[in-house]
Amino acid sequence: MSKAELLKSLEHAIVMGHLDAEDEGFDGTMEGTPGTVELVEEALEEGVEPQKILEVFGKAMERVGDLFESGEYFLPDMLASAECVGEAMDIIEPKLEAGRSSEKGKFLIATVEGDLHDIGKNIVATMLKGAGYQVQDLGIDVPADDILKSIEEFKPDFVGLSALLTTTMIEMEKVVKQIREKGYSDIKVLIGGAPTSEEFAEKIGADEYCRDVMDALNKLEEMKAAS
Amino acid sequence: MIISDKQQLKMLSPAEFQLLHEGTCRLLSQVGVKVTHEGIAEMLMSRGAQRKGERILIPQSMVENILEKTAKSIKFDAPDPAYGFTVNAAENQVKFGTGGQALYVVDRTSSEWVRRPAGTDDLKQILALCDQLKQVDFVTRPVECDVPEDQMDVEKARIFREYCSKPMNLANLIKLNRLDEVLEIIGDPAHVSFIVCLISSPLVMDSSAGDKLIAIVEKDLPVAISSCTQGGSTAPFSEVGELLQLNAELLFGYVLANAVRPGAQVLYRGIPITSNLYSDGSPRWCQPESIRRVALAAQLCRFYNLPCCGTAGVSDEAEPSSQAISEKVFSWTYEIASGAHYINSALGMLEQVMSVSYYQYVIDDIALGIVKKKFEENPSEDISKIAVSAAVEALSYFGVSIDEKVEAELAARIQHIENPLEPYSEEYIDEQLSVIEKAVTRSKSSTVFMTTARKGLREGYLYRGNRIDAPLNLSQVAEKLKAIAAP
Repeated sequence: MSKAELLKSLEHAIVMGHLDAEDEGFDGTMEGTPGTVELVEEALEEGVEPQKILEVFGKAMERVGDLFESGEYFLPDMLASAECVGEAMDIIEPKLEAGRSSEKGKFLIATVEGDLHDIGKNIVATMLKGAGYQVQDLGIDVPADDILKSIEEFKPDFVGLSALLTTTMIEMEKVVKQIREKGYSDIKVLIGGAPTSEEFAEKIGADEYCRDVMDALNKLEEMKAAS
Repeated sequence: MIISDKQQLKMLSPAEFQLLHEGTCRLLSQVGVKVTHEGIAEMLMSRGAQRKGERILIPQSMVENILEKTAKSIKFDAPDPAYGFTVNAAENQVKFGTGGQALYVVDRTSSEWVRRPAGTDDLKQILALCDQLKQVDFVTRPVECDVPEDQMDVEKARIFREYCSKPMNLANLIKLNRLDEVLEIIGDPAHVSFIVCLISSPLVMDSSAGDKLIAIVEKDLPVAISSCTQGGSTAPFSEVGELLQLNAELLFGYVLANAVRPGAQVLYRGIPITSNLYSDGSPRWCQPESIRRVALAAQLCRFYNLPCCGTAGVSDEAEPSSQAISEKVFSWTYEIASGAHYINSALGMLEQVMSVSYYQYVIDDIALGIVKKKFEENPSEDISKIAVSAAVEALSYFGVSIDEKVEAELAARIQHIENPLEPYSEEYIDEQLSVIEKAVTRSKSSTVFMTTARKGLREGYLYRGNRIDAPLNLSQVAEKLKAIAAP
């Protein structure tokens, strides 16, 4: 396979959400064929520049976005493609020049203390990684102090907080307050989760409330454009 | 309400239920439940469980011994003794209650529905309202009080004591150290029951919920162990896979409760709903595929001969509407027919448990009355016919005219509820167990469930029909609400 064909196959694998040879892909028929992981590894072995591979990621995700907009793709399809890009990024990241992978921004995400729910958080983390953000996912039930410690080390541009319970959403207020008290005024805080709302975000001093993952992606783009 | 044997629905054969049970036991004995609470892990191991890393494996014999020993009959007393009742696992008898932990109340203005935050006054008003509604047999806390977190339990108990004369389900205990005070305020512990969500799906025990379950069971209070899986995000998208996981999570709860107190008064509360994978992954509580799955969970509970806490009538609609009525009627009908004994969240709920509405309580009281009447009038009628006939009568009652389009939509929903899309074979069960195992051993289980949902999504696992949209005539509801004096 020529380098051009390899990149074409890679783009197709991402659009089809075909992660690796064990994965069944978009239509359940792709198991046993090389997926994104194998194709990226092959491309690197063949000497394709990591920059060229990055361009394929962007092109593929743009196509996936269009398919979602047109109603042909659904949430799992988009998530599968984003997961492909996320895994592939882990492979090519060490080969990229320093700082290249975080051009879009650094995003720290966590489900707040007392809350064990991770669906929304995982979807957002995966999609943002697929969209080119450098994501650090702290997991579930994360105390405010641990979030603050990670902010100090990771130096994110954005912090995303998730909660599904009415009893834990109040923990978000504590985290936002501590972020501001520590003087991280440049960090934009986004919140999400079933019980949260725009009014709640405003009340606790968060910068944005995100209804769902697409809303989060759009608001991040808007914030980046505004800055 | 008593339903006849003829009306009791069994969507699977005894052999298929047995395969589900065997699959569940394989899941519990080979994959197990993640338990980071050392005390609970030690206790379970002393009763025969094994440890594999952070996971506790429960052997099949341990599960089956517990299923034999756990309480088969649970008594719910009430401040007014006339409202007390007993749930007997083997009987076809059903009671209805409220539910939820709604954040909002949907009020009616002259021109529209308006959503506002719920608070302490709403809890008082709703309890007073439900005390007068005929179809409310017991009351589960519908909204929380707007008081600091450490005062919520006691404030709630005070309000229940003042405004509720029916059996009281306080739902979740927020602060364990307040339990004694709560029971003291209520006066008679026999009036109270709880709900505990022990497991965070997939198959991770919540340590704090574990402590609460132990405290409740030690006091010999009735408790519904609850699992609300969402196919496609916290559980397999497949109906078979979701039921396996849900059942394993609930049976683990039975094992723990009965390890604390043999013969524990536990109800099986399985709510296997789906995620809206067409858009944002939000839960679909009252869509046909979820109605089918929740009905199957009740049937599985009855297969085990356990007291069954059902869930029905949680509409996905944001405000009272003809669509909400149609969703609720089907949901109640199939849950009654599946043999649930103690049906929670049955009245007042909207927007996937996020909201309640005073209007909706009264609408539901009327519509549920119609459903019950249909069962009583037609003791040997097909459930599908009871469901359609009840929906038509309930919609008509509120001024919706039934045309061919509405009839076709109701028929399409029935078809989706009644017709299986997946095989209940050993091979397929093994396939689903592999998906669950893959998900629980990865850090992001939801992405596993979601990406493995793509095929099923295209095979139509999520119902895609039409809404039933027609304005409601709510003049009688408004009059009834006016007649009920506010506290």
